[in-house]
Amino acid sequence: MKKLFSLFLAGAMILSLGACQEKNSPGGAQQGVTDTQADKGMAVMGNTVKYDPNHLVNDGQPISIDWWVWASEDMFQGIADMYEEIHPNVTINIINNPWDGFFTKLPLSLQKGEDGPTLFNVHNSYENLIFNYMAPFDIDTQELIADYPSAASHLKDGKIYYADYGLSTGMVYYNKEIWEAEGLTTEDIPTTWDEFIEVAQKLTEFDENGKMIRAGFNYNQYFNAIALGLNYQFGSNLFDTAGTKAQVDGDGMKQAVTLLVDLYEKYHVGDKDFGTNCEQSFYQGQSAMTFVWGHFVNNLKINYPDLEYGNFEIPIPSEDTPYAYYRYNGEATPAINKNASEAQMEVAQDFMRFYFANDNVQVTLCKEGGLIPAKTILMENAELKDTPIVKTVGPHIDRYIWPGAMPSTLETNMKIAGEDILYNGKSMEKALATANDIINVDLANANFTASENLYKYYEE
Amino acid sequence: MFWKRRPLQSKSEIWMRNLVMGFLIIYMTIFLVIPVIMVIAGSFHQWNPLNQTYNWLGIDNYIRMFSYPTFWQSMINTILFCVVVVTFRVILGLAIAYALNSKMTKHKTFFRTVFYMPTVTPLVAVAYVWMIMYNPQFGLIDKIFGFDINWLYDSKFALPSLMIMTIWKDFGYAVILFLSGLLSLPSDSYESASIDGANAWQTFRYITLPLLKPTMLFVVVTSIISYLQAYVPVLVMTKGGPGTSTYLSSYLVYDQAFKQYNFGYASAISLFILVLTAIFTVISFKFTGKNN
Repeated sequence: MKKLFSLFLAGAMILSLGACQEKNSPGGAQQGVTDTQADKGMAVMGNTVKYDPNHLVNDGQPISIDWWVWASEDMFQGIADMYEEIHPNVTINIINNPWDGFFTKLPLSLQKGEDGPTLFNVHNSYENLIFNYMAPFDIDTQELIADYPSAASHLKDGKIYYADYGLSTGMVYYNKEIWEAEGLTTEDIPTTWDEFIEVAQKLTEFDENGKMIRAGFNYNQYFNAIALGLNYQFGSNLFDTAGTKAQVDGDGMKQAVTLLVDLYEKYHVGDKDFGTNCEQSFYQGQSAMTFVWGHFVNNLKINYPDLEYGNFEIPIPSEDTPYAYYRYNGEATPAINKNASEAQMEVAQDFMRFYFANDNVQVTLCKEGGLIPAKTILMENAELKDTPIVKTVGPHIDRYIWPGAMPSTLETNMKIAGEDILYNGKSMEKALATANDIINVDLANANFTASENLYKYYEE
Repeated sequence: MFWKRRPLQSKSEIWMRNLVMGFLIIYMTIFLVIPVIMVIAGSFHQWNPLNQTYNWLGIDNYIRMFSYPTFWQSMINTILFCVVVVTFRVILGLAIAYALNSKMTKHKTFFRTVFYMPTVTPLVAVAYVWMIMYNPQFGLIDKIFGFDINWLYDSKFALPSLMIMTIWKDFGYAVILFLSGLLSLPSDSYESASIDGANAWQTFRYITLPLLKPTMLFVVVTSIISYLQAYVPVLVMTKGGPGTSTYLSSYLVYDQAFKQYNFGYASAISLFILVLTAIFTVISFKFTGKNN
C-alpha cells in the first residue's frame, strides 16, 4: 500500500512538472481544407514585387503556421484572413504576446527550431537579439527596394531579412476643443519654437494660487523620445562619422535639451510634476498639446474615439530649413524563422511576397498604425494621403533622418539623463556625459553601426 | 545523524526516503546548483543567451561593476532600504504584537487578520494601489495631508515612498511572528517579575525583550535576506527613477539582464549580492548560536 502511495506521489510530481512544459505542437492545429484549385482566376497584384495568387502552396495540403505579434492582433488577423481567402489550405495562427517580455520570449522560442513561430514581428531596436534566427526573403532585393526604398537600409550581404512597411515619427497633437476655446484657429499652428511657445502659453492655465491646472504642452515620460532626434534641428548627429559611437553630449543635443527644459522652467507651458504621463494627461484634457509618435493615432481611436484632436509637425528653430526636422523609425515587417520546416518556409515566403505586393495589406497597416507608407507609390493613395502623418510630415519626409536600428540603451539612458536633469537637479552637461559614457560601453558590445550617413543631406 | 537515533523501519520507508531525497536532489540541482554554476561562469563572459553570445571577458564585468556609479548607488540604496524597512518592521511588528498580546485588547482575531492582510495581498497589486495614492494630481496622500509633493518623481521622496509602502505591506508578518513568540514565553518569569515589583517597562525591557531575542533575530535575518532581493516595488512604481535614484541592487540585476540583455554583467552583480548575503547569513547564524 505504501509503495503504491509512493508511486502515486512520484507520478503526481512528474506530471506536475510535465504540466509546466509548454504545449506547442509544430504549426499548431491543422484547420485548413485541401485546396485543389491552383488557377483561381485572380489578378496578379503588386507594382514591382508581384504576387500571382493562381498557384497552390504546400501542394494544397492543409498546413498551419504561427505568427507572433505584440499588439494589433485584430489587424494582423485581418491580413492573415486575406491570405487564407486565397489559400484556404493555410491557417495562420496569430499569437499575441505582450510587448513586455516579447523579445525575451521570442528568441527562446526560436531556439526550438521549427517548433518556434514561423513568422514573427520585428522591432528594429531588438534586431541583434533575433537576427541569427531570420531567413532572407525569397524576393529579388532590387525589386523590393524599387517598391520600398527604405528596404535598402536593411541589406545584409545582399539579402533582406526584414524591411519597413511604414515610417513612424513624432508629431504634436493638440486638443481642438481647448484650442478653439482659447480663440486659436488653424492659422495659429506654429512652425517655429518661438511661435509654439506663444501658443502653448495661451493654452496653459493656472488657478488663483498660481497652480497649474492645464498644461499648454506636456512631454512627461517622453523626454527621451523627443530629445533623441531634436538634436538634428541644431545640426548635430547622434553618432560619430564612423557610426559606432554615440555623441548625445554634443552641442546639438545640449541645445535640444535646453529648449525642452526651458519650455517648463522658463516659459512655464508645462510642468514636470503636472500630468506624469503625457498621453494620459492629453486623454483627460489636462494637457492641451503633447508630442507623441504615430502610434498615438491608433491609441486615440481605440481609447478616446470622441476626443477631437489635430496634428502639426514638430516646430523648428527658425523659418530656415533645418539640417533635419527630426528622426523617423521604420515599423518592421515580419521576419521568417530560418529553422522552419520546408513546408512552413514555403508558406511563409509565399505569404511575405503577398504581404509586400498587396496594396490593401499596406494601406491597412499604415492607416491603423498612423504611418507613412514605406511603399512610396501609396503616398498618393486615396485612403492614406489625408491621414494625419502623411498630411503633416509627408511633405518634408526627406528631411527626417533614420539613425539606424538604435539599441535600446540610447532610449534607456536618455530617459535617465532627462530625469536627472528635470527631477534630480543634475547639471545638463554631467547628465548627458554620464548617459553618453554608458551608451558607448553598451554600444561596444552591440555590433551596431548607425545609418545617419545614408541621409540625403548628411554632408550639409 | 538521524539514522543513528532512529533506524528506518522497513524497506518501503527506505524506498520512500530515497525517492523523496532523490527528487529533492534533482530539483535542487536543476533549479539551484546548475543556475549558480552558470551565473559564476557567465560572470566572466559577454553573455546573451537570447542570441547565443558567449565570449570570454575575464574579469571585465567585475571591473565594470566596481567602476559603474549606478552599482554603488544601488548598493547604498539597498543598504538604506534594508536598514529603514527592517527597523520599522521590527518596531511596528513588536509594538502591535505586544498590544495584541495584552489582556486588555479585545477582538484579537479580528486585529490579527487586519494586520496580516497586507502581507497576503499580492505585492504587484499593493504597489499599483500605492502608486495611485502617491500621484501628485489625484493621489490620496497629497489630498489628505495637503501636500504638494510628486512622491515618486522627487529624488528626496522616491526611495522613502517605496520604503513606506514596503513597511505597510510587510509589518504584519513580523506581528504574527512576534505574537507567536510572546505566546510561547514562560509565564513564571512574569510572575517572578511581578513579585519583585517590576513595572510594565521593566518587565518588557528585562524579561520580554531578552526572551524574544531568537524571534527578533529570525525576523531581522529573514527580512534582510528578502530585502536584499527586493525589486518588484521598484519595477512597478519607479522603474529605478527618477534618474537612478531608486535603483536597488536586485533591480539593477533585472535591468541589466532583462532590459539591456547584459547577462554576463548581471551575473557579476548577482554573484556579488549572493556573496554578501551568504556572509551576512553566516555572521547572523553565528551570532544567533552564540546567544542561544
